[in-house]
Amino acid sequence: MNTLLPAIGFGLVTASILAVAGVGFTLQFGVTNILNLAYGDIMTAAAFVAYLVTSAGVSVWLALVAGAAFGGVFSVVLNRALYTPFVRHGTRLFGMIIVTISVSLIVQNGLQAIFGASFFSLNMPRPAPIHVAGMVFTTVQFAIIGIAVAAMLLVHLLLRYTKLGKAMRATASDPELARNCGIATDRVIDLAWALSGTLCGLAGVILVMNVTAFTDTTGSQFLIPVVAVAVLGGIGQPYGAMLGALIIGIASEVAAAVISPDYKNVVAFVILVIVLLARPQGILSEIATRKEVAA
Amino acid sequence: MRIAVKALGAALVLVAVGACGSSGGGGASASSTLVVGEFNPFSGPDASFGLEMAGGCVPAIRLINAGGGVLGHQLSCVQEDTRGDPADAVPAAQKMMATETSLVGVLGPSSDEALATAPLLNQGHVPMFVDTGQAAFNHTGDAYFWRVTPADDVKGYALALWAHKAGYTRAAAVFGNDAGAQSDVPTLVKAFTRLGGTIAYNKPFALGQSSYRTEIENILATHPQVIFTEVDPQTGATFLSELQQLHGLLPVIGTEVTLQAPWLKAVGGAIGPAAMARYFQGMQPYAPPSGPAWQAYNKSLLGSAAQVPKPSQWSSDPYSMTYYDGVNVMALAMIAAKSTSPAVFNPYITKVTEPGPGKKVVDTFAAGQAALRAGHQIQYVGAGGPIVFNHWHNSTGAFEAAKYANGTITLVGSVSAAQIAAISR
Repeated sequence: MNTLLPAIGFGLVTASILAVAGVGFTLQFGVTNILNLAYGDIMTAAAFVAYLVTSAGVSVWLALVAGAAFGGVFSVVLNRALYTPFVRHGTRLFGMIIVTISVSLIVQNGLQAIFGASFFSLNMPRPAPIHVAGMVFTTVQFAIIGIAVAAMLLVHLLLRYTKLGKAMRATASDPELARNCGIATDRVIDLAWALSGTLCGLAGVILVMNVTAFTDTTGSQFLIPVVAVAVLGGIGQPYGAMLGALIIGIASEVAAAVISPDYKNVVAFVILVIVLLARPQGILSEIATRKEVAA
Repeated sequence: MRIAVKALGAALVLVAVGACGSSGGGGASASSTLVVGEFNPFSGPDASFGLEMAGGCVPAIRLINAGGGVLGHQLSCVQEDTRGDPADAVPAAQKMMATETSLVGVLGPSSDEALATAPLLNQGHVPMFVDTGQAAFNHTGDAYFWRVTPADDVKGYALALWAHKAGYTRAAAVFGNDAGAQSDVPTLVKAFTRLGGTIAYNKPFALGQSSYRTEIENILATHPQVIFTEVDPQTGATFLSELQQLHGLLPVIGTEVTLQAPWLKAVGGAIGPAAMARYFQGMQPYAPPSGPAWQAYNKSLLGSAAQVPKPSQWSSDPYSMTYYDGVNVMALAMIAAKSTSPAVFNPYITKVTEPGPGKKVVDTFAAGQAALRAGHQIQYVGAGGPIVFNHWHNSTGAFEAAKYANGTITLVGSVSAAQIAAISR
C-alpha cells in the first residue's frame, strides 16, 4: 500500500506524455482517416530540433516551442507532399499504413544518417526535487504535467467552442456531409495536420525532457503505447485518448509497484484487451465505429 | 493474379536455391578478394554494435592487406546488417551466404540474433567469431562457432567479486528483461550470496520506458549500498537521472555494456560527468590498452578514420580488440592450412592460438605470417590478450574494473580468471 499511492502519482507523469501524444495521434486519424505510423519518428525529429536549439544555448522552453512548431509544419508538408497524392490516387487505409511505415523508416534512417547512431541529451538545467504528499517529483515533471493539462484544455476549448473545432468534428464525423454544408474540408484537414503535428512535436520534446537521453528510435519505441492509448479511448476520440492515457499511465506504474517492473507494458495491454472485449470500439466509440465502416 | 503468384513462387525458389547453395565452404577463386562479413546490427536500437565491430575489422584488414594479403588474396570487411532482429538477421545470413562467394568468415552474430543465425552459419560452414554472450553457447557443438569474449553468465561472477572486494554487502540488481541481461543475474546472485552479500532487490526492468520512478522507490525501500546493472543506454540514462534528481545516486557497478561509448554518452549526458566519475564503475573483459599487439591495433585503428568514424573511441574497447584478433586468427589459420576454404582452415584456428612447447608467440599478423612461412608453429596473442579455446570453442579470461572520468576509461582494478573459476565451482 505504501508504494501504491506514489505509483499512482508517478503514473500521472507518464499519462501526461501519453495524453499529449495520444490526443495528437487520434485527432490526426479522426479527421484525416490516415493511421500515421510515422508519428513516433516525427516525435523524434522534433526532439532533435529541440536538441539543436538547446545546443545553441537557447532555453529548453523555447526549444519546446521550436519542436512543437516543427512537428506542425512537418506534418502539414508531409500530408500535402506525400499522403494527399496517395489518397487522391485511391490508396485505401491499408495501403496508406504501408506508406506511413515507409515514411517512418525514411525519417528514422535520415535522422541516423544526420546525427549518427548515438545518444543525445537536451542541454537543460538539472531539475530540483519537489516533495508533494509523500511523493517526490522534479520541476521538469511538474512542468510536463502542467504542459499536458494546458494542451488538453486548449484542445478541449478548440474542439468545443470554436468554429474550427466544430468544423474538425464535422469533418471527422462525415467529410462528405461537412463539405456539402459548406465547410472547406481541405483547409480543415490542413489545420488538423498542423494541430496534431504540433501535439506530436510537443510530445516528442517532453518525452526526451523526461527520459533525458534519446536516439533516433526513441519516438518509434514510444509509438506502441501511444497507439494503445488511442485504441483504448476509441480511435478518433481526443477525449477517449485523454482517458486512455490516464488508465495506461497509472496502470503501468501500479503494475511496476505491485507486481514487477517487467509487467509494466503487459498489464497496460491486458487492460486494453479486457476493455476492447467489452467495448470493441474503445471507451468512447462514436467515430471509431464510423471509421471501421469506412475502412 | 496468376502471374503474380508465379512470380512470387519463382522468387521463393530463387531464395531457396540461394539458401541451399549457401555453403561458405567453397573458398575463393585465385586472387579474388576474400570477404569477412561484419554480421551485426548497423541500424536499429543496437546500431552501435556494428560501428564497434568496424573498429576491429577495418584495422585488421588494413594491416593484412598491407602485408601482402592471405595466400595472394586481399581481404575486405563487408557490412551485413542484421538490424538486431532475428526476423531480419535470418534472411540477411541466407543472402550473405548465397551472394558472397568469397566469404571466409564472419564477425558476429551478437546476442540479438545469435540463437537464430549461428546454426545457419554453422550449417553453411562459415567460421564465426561471435560477440554474443549467451550461456546457451557455453557447451555448443557447432564446429564453426568461436567465442573469444566471456559468456554473459561469467559477468555475474565478476560483478559479485568486485563488489565484495569494495566491501559492499547489500545490493540491488537492475537488469533489463532481455535474455542477454537476464543471463547475468543467476550467477551474480549465486556468487554475491556465496560471498556473504544479499541481493535485496532483483526484478527485471522493462526497457525503454519513459520513467522508472516507481522502481526507484521500491529499490530504495530495500536500502542497497550498490546497484548492479545492465540495461540499454536510454533506460540507464532515464533510471539513473531520475534516481539522481529524486534521491541522489548510489554507487553503480555495470557490465561491459555500460563501458561502451553509447552508454557512457547517454548516461554521462543525463547525470553529468562528475557524477559518472564518482559513482560509476564497469566490469569488462581484461584487455589492457598496452603491449605490442595493442600498439599495432591502435596505430592501424587511428589510421582508419576514412572507414571508421571517430576511431579513437574504440582504442580501449575490448570488443573491438577481439574483432581485430578474430580477423587475424582466421587469416593466420588460412596460411597455416594453406587454404582459404573454411572447411579446411577452420580446425587450424585452435592450432594458431593454443599455447604449446616450441611454439613461436606472435602478436601481429605480419609476425605470424613470417613465422609460419619460416616453418614454425605459432601461438597468436592478440590485442585482447591470449586466446585459449576450450572444448566448446569458448575462451574466457580475467575481468577489469574501470571508471569513466575526463572522457576516458581508466582501469581501477581487476578480477582474475582464477578467482572467477573458484567462485563458479
